[in-house]
Amino acid sequence: MKYILKRLSFYIVAFVAAITLNFFLPRFMPGDPVQMFIGDLYQSGGKIDEATIRAVEEMFGYNTDEPLIVTYFKYVGGIFTGDWGLSFKYYPQTVTDAISRGLGWTLFLMGTSLVLGFIINSLLGILVAWRRGGKMDTGVTVTSQILANIPAVVTALILSLSLGHTGLLPTGYAVTPLYFPATQWDYIKDVIYHAILPVSCILITGLGGVMGMRANMINQLGEDYITMGIAKGVPQHKIMIGYSARNALLPVVTSLAMQVGFLLGGSLIIEQVFNYPGLGTVMVNAINGRDYPLMQGILLMSTTLMLTANFLADIAILFLDPRIRRQK
Amino acid sequence: MSDALLNVENLKVEYITGDSTTVAAVDNVSFSIKPGESLGLAGESGCGKSTIAYSLMRLHKPPALITNGKIVMNGKDVLNMNKKELQQFRWQETSMVFQSAMNCLNPVVTMEKQFFEIYKYHGVTKNKKEAIKLSEKLLSIVGIPAERLKDYPHQFSGGMRQRAVIAMALALNPKLLILDEPTTALDTVVQRDIIQRIFKLQKEYGFAILFITHDISLMMEFCDSVAVMYAGRIIEQGKSLMMLKEPKHPYTYGLKNSFPSLQGPLSHMEGIKGNPLNLKNIPQGCRFQDRCFRVCDKCRQIEPPKVEHTDGFFYCHDQLAYDKGGKLHE
Repeated sequence: MKYILKRLSFYIVAFVAAITLNFFLPRFMPGDPVQMFIGDLYQSGGKIDEATIRAVEEMFGYNTDEPLIVTYFKYVGGIFTGDWGLSFKYYPQTVTDAISRGLGWTLFLMGTSLVLGFIINSLLGILVAWRRGGKMDTGVTVTSQILANIPAVVTALILSLSLGHTGLLPTGYAVTPLYFPATQWDYIKDVIYHAILPVSCILITGLGGVMGMRANMINQLGEDYITMGIAKGVPQHKIMIGYSARNALLPVVTSLAMQVGFLLGGSLIIEQVFNYPGLGTVMVNAINGRDYPLMQGILLMSTTLMLTANFLADIAILFLDPRIRRQK
Repeated sequence: MSDALLNVENLKVEYITGDSTTVAAVDNVSFSIKPGESLGLAGESGCGKSTIAYSLMRLHKPPALITNGKIVMNGKDVLNMNKKELQQFRWQETSMVFQSAMNCLNPVVTMEKQFFEIYKYHGVTKNKKEAIKLSEKLLSIVGIPAERLKDYPHQFSGGMRQRAVIAMALALNPKLLILDEPTTALDTVVQRDIIQRIFKLQKEYGFAILFITHDISLMMEFCDSVAVMYAGRIIEQGKSLMMLKEPKHPYTYGLKNSFPSLQGPLSHMEGIKGNPLNLKNIPQGCRFQDRCFRVCDKCRQIEPPKVEHTDGFFYCHDQLAYDKGGKLHE
């Protein structure tokens, strides 16, 4: 219990640090959303005067007369009340609206590939380490290394061109456009059908995890308790799963949480290639449109996701590793 | 030697090295242990002691290979057992306390479960409650309170873990207990306590012991007989008292003299000069020639034959002799 509180307080500090950086960093950069908006306005032939600037500032909630620190606390307050400001690109939508549209799909994509990737990588790693030096070991090791090191864009394009454009699988969207399924089950099937390509693309890029699991396994297999287990007469498969894999998984669970960050970055590209309506597309649009409030919002979102994932991993480890459980 | 419990004949264990040559870590070793007897196996690091211990249970891992010899335990040929027989043989007939017993317990499983596994896989009981009862009894033998059974290994101290492993080793009443440097990681006081416990239990339960250690004085105190290994071979074996007082082989003599005596005045220690033999490069003649203080031309040419006497045997051309006072004849 104390452990959880300790971890939680750490994450709260990290969160505060993240939102603080998130707040100050864009403000120290040259140009602000108001200037951007006015620039756009000017180019589209709008009339610019003092009153317009005031109005735009008001609209974005910027007040140049206000001390920065006051704005900061207002911003922090806004985060917790769900007021993340107005999007610039998706104006007049709010940032929360813009994010929540894509968030669900990204979470679905990430969650699915995280779980599947964990299962595939772990199983392969366990098997390959158990038969270290065999044909399967060489095959899987080499293949996974090569596949994992191809840039995500290339993998995505190859998959899209080979499987997508031949009509086997959809090349874009999360669901068939203008499709009104009769039952919920039909809808789910359609979603899965559309997710196959992006998910397998993320899985292929994440195949490097096999090597991690393999290395962990091999380390564990060299431990003395494995020899003792064999000497005790414990059957082979129990040694493989209950002894070595059980212990080898512990560091993997922690690194899984770290992966959430990489996945967010990776999904950016993959969502672009497969035209998937997730956060990645929103993010790219935000960057292209210099939509600072939205970028901040997405950054905040991914920070929260990362921290939550890490916290969950900490709790999972608590259940998996008795050495941490009884830490006083 | 038909009454022997364990009979090892011409055992040869080779390690395949990187350049696909082999190195014989154990070369033509034969020995036997009678039921209830204790044999000590001494020698410096890398002489093949642990390799023998692991081979006896067929726990050796590649690149180690048993290339020759016979291991007969209780009338059964260990090297010809299939997977299933081997699994039953391990721990039921021969169990082992490992060199690093501190790391021998699965860190994420309770002690209770680790004991239960032994009973479960050897068909003693499938009932957890019954297994707990049996394990509690075992733990009390080694002086660990029964309620600690619910704990995880990391909650035990080093000495307790060691004792717990010993308790586990005794779980199925094995006929032979291999102790592979069971107390290296512990301090001398705990070390003594544990060894004493084991030998007390031996008297009670009547199992045989193969005791491996570098601590030759500890071994001579506890074991019935002692075998000394050098470079993969047993070079001398005999009754403890004889080995302690009048070793015939210069290496045994050197080993014995490498330990200071606790009583009496301090004296200059002799030790053994030189380094352990490189097994890739075995010279003609005696393997100990370069380090021997009595080396002669014969030692450099002809491998010494086995010389048997009433208390044991040794391999040396120029055996050590002692006068009545136990002093070495120069």
